[in-house]
Amino acid sequence: MATEQQEHLKIEQLRQHNADELETIAGREKENLEGWIPALATDAEIREALEKAFDYRGDVTITRKDGSKVEGYLFDRRSGTSLEDSSVRVIPINDRNKINISYADIAALAFTGRDNAAGKTFEAWVKKYWEKKAAGEKNIQIEPEKLD
Amino acid sequence: MAVPVSQAWTVASYVLTQKLKGRKRYPLVLMLEPLFRCNLACAGCGKIQYPAHILKAELTPEECFRAVEECGAPMVSIPGGEPLLHPKMPEIVAGLVARKKYVYMCTNALLLKEKLHLFKPSKYLSFSVHVDGEREHHDFSVCREGGYDLAMEGIRAAVAAGFRVTTNTTLFDGADPNSVRRHFDQLMAAGVESMMVSPGYTYDKAPDQNHFLGKAKSRRLFRAILSNRKKSWEFNTHPLFSEFLMGKRNFECTPWGMPTFSIFGWQKPCYLLQDGYADTFQELMETTNWENYGAKSGNPQCANCMVHSGHEASAVDYAFSSLGGFIETAKKFMLKPLYPDADAQKLLNEWKPTAHTNPLVQIQGSSSDELQPVSGD
Ligand code: SF4
Repeated sequence: MATEQQEHLKIEQLRQHNADELETIAGREKENLEGWIPALATDAEIREALEKAFDYRGDVTITRKDGSKVEGYLFDRRSGTSLEDSSVRVIPINDRNKINISYADIAALAFTGRDNAAGKTFEAWVKKYWEKKAAGEKNIQIEPEKLD
Repeated sequence: MAVPVSQAWTVASYVLTQKLKGRKRYPLVLMLEPLFRCNLACAGCGKIQYPAHILKAELTPEECFRAVEECGAPMVSIPGGEPLLHPKMPEIVAGLVARKKYVYMCTNALLLKEKLHLFKPSKYLSFSVHVDGEREHHDFSVCREGGYDLAMEGIRAAVAAGFRVTTNTTLFDGADPNSVRRHFDQLMAAGVESMMVSPGYTYDKAPDQNHFLGKAKSRRLFRAILSNRKKSWEFNTHPLFSEFLMGKRNFECTPWGMPTFSIFGWQKPCYLLQDGYADTFQELMETTNWENYGAKSGNPQCANCMVHSGHEASAVDYAFSSLGGFIETAKKFMLKPLYPDADAQKLLNEWKPTAHTNPLVQIQGSSSDELQPVSGD
């Protein structure tokens, strides 16, 4: 779920217009979180950072208070009243089994994986597409990268 | 006929049973996502942006069957990712057919022709081929020139082999209603059983964040497309959902109507939004704060959603909630109104198609001018 800051554009638009009257709706303002290491100094910072990690479409690395590390995709978070009863759920890089980590056990968090939803060069690609078209190229396409 | 009588009967008796049992929330279609990887990278899609180890993961047939049994819905839709990339897809489909579930296997059909021999025609199985419009528009949407021709080849091969084939068209800002109507003619001529059309959802992970339809534009577009319809067109969407798209009636969202199961578990609250996961279907139903979703809730993520996975179940529920609703719906199913509408015709005649200055493609990278392929790892 996005944070208020990330939802800024859409929320602003909806503040000013009735959704039923909108011709087109604002998309999402993307935050660049790749490589970020949040401070986690206060409970609020921990919650905010883990909310962002949940929204992030790349792997993160969590260091537990016992020093052990988990690198993987944080696909869920369950927010309780205290850090002890709040947890994140992660699918580690080399293991499909989901693991639970309590917020209270987290010493550090890093956004170590590439953000797979970044897509920042969309406009640049549009330009390239038309250049290739104009040059008479055929079968122009974007191929998903090989996974192996 | 848009759906076989046996399917309509199965769904109607299922819904009636739920109503008689007094169940306020019941699933109609299980959206089963056995994998997220895809052989396309469409710009309007927010489903495939994951790290490689997630894209490589897939549900086992047993996990799929367990989810289907837990949920109990009479219909199972298999989106993805591209289901035909799952090595055990034939086994999954055969297992669902054996359980007498009506299966819609959603595919971009790039691999359909070559994999067709792995499936057996059945009244329970329909290939739901994603085609986003006429050749140029579809190729733009899926970011692949030649994608349309391959999809149509797949459709023709499946029809010739005796399979049920339906289609699914998603529209974004810039869609041309005249072209969409020509597209419907082409699909029916190719022998498809019926078609579905829906506005795209504003996925916040989609690469293109600038072409999402607002509700006002959606309604105008769908009014132009779906009014004055041709007798030859068959739709497999509920007639009242079609009226909802045309702005003739309003439905609140029914997010539990089409629950989603994937490698992460049961997705809260719906197919489109990811607000967490439950480990069991029961947990999904009991722990999701349903009042936080739908247009009425004020949730900005739901503000412009008119997607079938959230609203078609509302039309079905309405039809079974009163005798009047039932009679109204039955009439629409039988008489198949063509919705004559002079204003909609005028809208069509005067519609100015927008040039494809913004092809829908997915790319990754920084602000560089270089063309970079989308990455799965
Ligand atoms: S309106 Fe309903 S279907 Fe659409 S995003 Fe919100 S909960 Fe999901």
